[in-house]
Amino acid sequence: MVGKSGNRLSQAQAAWLLLAPFLITYLLFLVYPFFQGIWISLHDWNLLEVAFNPDAKTFVGFRNYERVMWGRNIEWGLFTAPFWQGLGFVGLALSVFLRRADRLSRFNAIALGVASLLLVVLPGFHPGEEGRWYDRRFWPTVGNTLVFVGLAVPGVTISAMVLAAALNRETKAMGALRTLFFLSQVLSVTVVTLIWQIMFSPRQGLIANITEVLGGTPINWLTDEQFAMAAIVIATIWWSLGVAMILFLAGLQDISREIYEAAALDNARGVKAFWYVTLPNLKRTITLVVVLQIILHFQVFGQAHLMTQGGPNDTTQVLVRYIYQTGFRDSELGRASAMAVFLFLIMGTFSVIQFIAGREKT
Amino acid sequence: MKHALLTAAAVATLATSAFAQEITLGRFFGACEDAGTDTTASVGEACIIQSIINAADAEIDGVSINTLPTDWGNYYDQIKAAYAGGTPPDVHVMHRHRIPEFAGIGALAEISDDLESVGIDPNDWSENALAAVSYNGGIYGVPMDFHANLWHVNMDIMAEAGLVADGKPVLPSSPEELLEHAQKVKEATGKDYLAADFAQFPIGVRLVLALMWQQNANIFTDDGTATINNDAAKNAVTAITQLFDAGLANPRLNYADSQQAFLNGEAAILVNGTWVVDFYTAEAAKSEVGLDNYYVADFPTLFETGATWADSHMWAIPSTLEGDKKMAALKVLAFINDHNIDWARTGHMAVCTSVVESDAYKSLPHRDEYAGTAAIARDTPPSERYGAIQDVLNRELQAIWLTGKSVDDALSDAEIEVQDLLDR
Repeated sequence: MVGKSGNRLSQAQAAWLLLAPFLITYLLFLVYPFFQGIWISLHDWNLLEVAFNPDAKTFVGFRNYERVMWGRNIEWGLFTAPFWQGLGFVGLALSVFLRRADRLSRFNAIALGVASLLLVVLPGFHPGEEGRWYDRRFWPTVGNTLVFVGLAVPGVTISAMVLAAALNRETKAMGALRTLFFLSQVLSVTVVTLIWQIMFSPRQGLIANITEVLGGTPINWLTDEQFAMAAIVIATIWWSLGVAMILFLAGLQDISREIYEAAALDNARGVKAFWYVTLPNLKRTITLVVVLQIILHFQVFGQAHLMTQGGPNDTTQVLVRYIYQTGFRDSELGRASAMAVFLFLIMGTFSVIQFIAGREKT
Repeated sequence: MKHALLTAAAVATLATSAFAQEITLGRFFGACEDAGTDTTASVGEACIIQSIINAADAEIDGVSINTLPTDWGNYYDQIKAAYAGGTPPDVHVMHRHRIPEFAGIGALAEISDDLESVGIDPNDWSENALAAVSYNGGIYGVPMDFHANLWHVNMDIMAEAGLVADGKPVLPSSPEELLEHAQKVKEATGKDYLAADFAQFPIGVRLVLALMWQQNANIFTDDGTATINNDAAKNAVTAITQLFDAGLANPRLNYADSQQAFLNGEAAILVNGTWVVDFYTAEAAKSEVGLDNYYVADFPTLFETGATWADSHMWAIPSTLEGDKKMAALKVLAFINDHNIDWARTGHMAVCTSVVESDAYKSLPHRDEYAGTAAIARDTPPSERYGAIQDVLNRELQAIWLTGKSVDDALSDAEIEVQDLLDR
């Protein structure tokens, strides 16, 4: 930039000017509401009452957090949830052992260690005699959300990777198929859930018809305790496959052909080549996809809200739906905000992990 | 010049008053694309109400109505968010049970002094209808109906099982008889006796509530004590679960599936509301529909006292509405009130005495078959937590019949959670 007059902008000024529209929007619509949310979570704040009378809120400090996450006579025990806590101990031992044997990078060892420690500590809390959780639905809801994430993330990642590997060829048919598989991603959640509600219907659904042809009795997918969560996960995988697949395709196309040729000389073809060449080279993409999916799927709402209404018996009740109900059905904005802050902390943690993992050298 | 300005001002005033007041209207009942303006020909809740709204839009001078897109399942969340954001619809439908929640904080306009100005005569409303829209001595809306749970009956299946006498279905008068009748139907036809949405919407809750009221019990008292973990609730629940246990009813059907089962002729009885009477009547007339011989019965009394779940639809306007806009909104309420007979075609019970006593009302299809329902209509005590309480009950009852939770555990959990809600 060459200007003759003295009032030209310095580089820093120009940068601020160009950033201003973004920064203002960001402050107004993300930063401000975020702190407002934390502020609300410290109040007894009724959605409707405060709208009609701004003084109808009362500051209660951390009481909302206590009412949501804590209880009366809560105790901690080492053997309250033997399976999960045992798993945690195994994880701890593994992280120490693998780090000693130098099979695990320092970062991965710390990550595994922290996750295992949480697994030992968190499930250990339980109400003692005469005790109870103040909110009996919160932790089971968190559990359901974790189950959903635990099923959807590997589901999406693996199926997207397999699809990407299969479609990574430069023919017209493959190009068409790539578009086809990506198409589901552009649909809104209402359309996706509508499609899958019809698919899962025990009366007219495609799945029920196929089961009947094969001589089985149709499953009531959405109202059966054992299948409701699976149904939601299946719909979600179908829906969110597209972006993950595109990311994998990009990663695959980064792998040089020469490596495959060299591998072929060593007799590594097909599955073997996938295992020894493709997978190691996709490591960074896999990390990216997994972390992005984790953050995305913790926010699951539409599928559970529209397909099962959180049922049967709360087995598909997820965190965002509980926040929504608490805020809008029950008008308890303070309590809902406290839960939202909790959700933010979980997602924030994974964002940090993604940030660190992204900087690590492979 | 002065003259010209004055004329211009006068013209401007005239022009603004000649402009139609746009009234935004929020409602549930579902969508109807081509409802038209003929309020006497439409079928089903969605189309009948939309035809009344369309007619109001066409016929009231200076008022145009914009029906907002809303979703039934999330209706109250949407309305609440709209109120909280300061942009509620100018006119909206709601249930009687929501009045404590909305009127309690001053969201709804108190309209008892405005009714006369638009020609609404509250003296024509039945006593119960007036009570339905009243809160702390004021009137907060215009009632539109009473709706209640009915037993929709497939007379052909009942006849096959020998459960018809004098052209009427023979319905059970005790839980034992309920099981007996269900077994008769199964033996004679191989079909289920009873279908209802036990898996999604709270139709199952309303069934259990009715059976509790029939034992003169309730789920909570007026002073806010939950009373769910008791014998009355256990009797009510087991009256239903005995059918599931014996394979005489399917708890896994949701609303659409249970309705389809009934229309396909796969179940003798469907427990559902007044809102489907005209729809089922129309369906039964079709030759391709499995249901041919349709009858509507009052909810039978299985215990001491007759009772069935009931509620009311009503129309309200926000307290923030003023001036011409409020007047226009009131005119819309008056128009809906004048079309009470058209709304009653759905199967709902009318609120205006003049309509109830009219021949047009009495001659509506099946109307005489459930004339006893008005007298046994019941609901829980009023509560700001109505929605959340229904959800707790729905969840715990579903846990019993869908996931095998023991009745004792479910009822004690339900009592704790409802008490939590009442205490909040």
